Amino acid sequence: MSDAVQTQEGLLILDSHKLSYHTDRVDAWEAGERIAPVSVDMSLTRACSAMCSFCYAMMQESQARSSIKVSDALNLLDDFAKMGVRSVSLVSDGESTLAKAYVPFIQHAHKLGIDVGNATNAWEWEPEKIEQVLPYLTWIRFTVAAGRPESYASIMYKGPEHTHVFDRAMTHIKYAVELKRRKKLSVTLGIQMVLMPHLKDEILPFAQLALDLGVDYAVIKHCSDDEQHTLGIDYSQYEPLHDLLSKAESMSSQTTKIIVKWDKIKDGDKPSYRRFYGPQFLLQISGSGLVAPSGMFFNARYSKLHIGNFTEERFYDIWKSDRYWRAMNYLASPSFDSQTMMGTLPIQHYVSVALDNHAKGIRKITPGTGPKPLHSNFL
Amino acid sequence: MPVNFRNFFGKVNAEMTDAFMYANEPSPTISAQWAGLTRAAQLEIVRNSIRSDTTLGSDIVEVVDTKANGEVIVRFIEPLGASVRGALLLDMEQYLKDSIEPGLTVWLSPLGDKNSLRNLRGIEVKS
Repeated sequence: MSDAVQTQEGLLILDSHKLSYHTDRVDAWEAGERIAPVSVDMSLTRACSAMCSFCYAMMQESQARSSIKVSDALNLLDDFAKMGVRSVSLVSDGESTLAKAYVPFIQHAHKLGIDVGNATNAWEWEPEKIEQVLPYLTWIRFTVAAGRPESYASIMYKGPEHTHVFDRAMTHIKYAVELKRRKKLSVTLGIQMVLMPHLKDEILPFAQLALDLGVDYAVIKHCSDDEQHTLGIDYSQYEPLHDLLSKAESMSSQTTKIIVKWDKIKDGDKPSYRRFYGPQFLLQISGSGLVAPSGMFFNARYSKLHIGNFTEERFYDIWKSDRYWRAMNYLASPSFDSQTMMGTLPIQHYVSVALDNHAKGIRKITPGTGPKPLHSNFL
Repeated sequence: MPVNFRNFFGKVNAEMTDAFMYANEPSPTISAQWAGLTRAAQLEIVRNSIRSDTTLGSDIVEVVDTKANGEVIVRFIEPLGASVRGALLLDMEQYLKDSIEPGLTVWLSPLGDKNSLRNLRGIEVKS
């Protein structure tokens, strides 16, 4: 696994996992206990006002959408706290900032001692909302598809003439950078580019934009695709980009680190693992309320791995149910093969590689030494 | 079907006593015998098998296709809640593995994105 990146605020690990800081949960898993996830990745809605060409949510439509009420979202957090979930990332398959539950969810999680991170396009993330959530967030990561306004508008919206969406996002990101400095907030601010191989000319402008904005980091990652290759990603086309990506990394400044998710880009569509242990530690929940082990299985195609919907029953009861563990055990059995039965590079990729290596005795997960990295509760 | 496979897969959905027990096990593949059947013959075998056990939900699940790689594609005749459909389909898959071929897997046809804005991209979810 790649090394952590030293930032002004601490060690930042984006291209690896942090299971070493949760060995209590690893030990319990190894002993066959029914463990609570360390982290949950979810969305408060399936809705989104962007139309990103790389968006995996296009492949995540389940049987039916339920509307997540504020009370559902707060009950979910209470259940997380009861179970021992340590962090929640609002990423998954929708734009959570659009949900009524967005602000109360983040504030309630903070009250319960659960760390919260959020990925957003920042279009509907106005100053009033920023003031209400930024002090309570551990990190926020803005989806910025490209560094140039026209390219950004083409990739994330209807066409190059719609640069107002870029301008709106930049205004809000700058507001957050300024607020963080003014109030000395501990939140980490980053921007993310989902790199499709044909977008290579956007790499350096993206890195430059990060420096201009003064965010803490900019990360460049692969694009996931489903096993039917719906998005048509050719993973062999990433290798010719390695020099450009290295050049982008070399643009890092004291304030802003440019980080490439090398491990995921190099692993591509050939994971080393067949069994999928990651979801037991890092669970995903859809903005439709659907609970499935991973976002890879939200689509109706994977209905056999649909466990429940937290708007219809309490999440705590879902987690305690035999059907939850039946789905998890299925993924850990020969009936399931990660290499052929799901899309590429899930959010649980790093964790799944580490757990598979641990299970096979290739490399054991041992307790972390030295100072804890930033965001240690996010796997 | 080889007896050892039946025993092997009988354990899959049981409580796992060892989290790592299948870490190095290969997944089953389709036999040459199954692959050599016509699609119509495969469909008939699967449909008859499901009809033979009334607990498998043959009145609410319809088998619509089989594929060369062992995939069995089904659809629900009426919508089923998320708390019910998973267990029903896992039961069905296990039954087909036990009674016909260990390499069979059960899937639904994929659903396309309902987001009208993203649909302007013209991307269709492949099946």
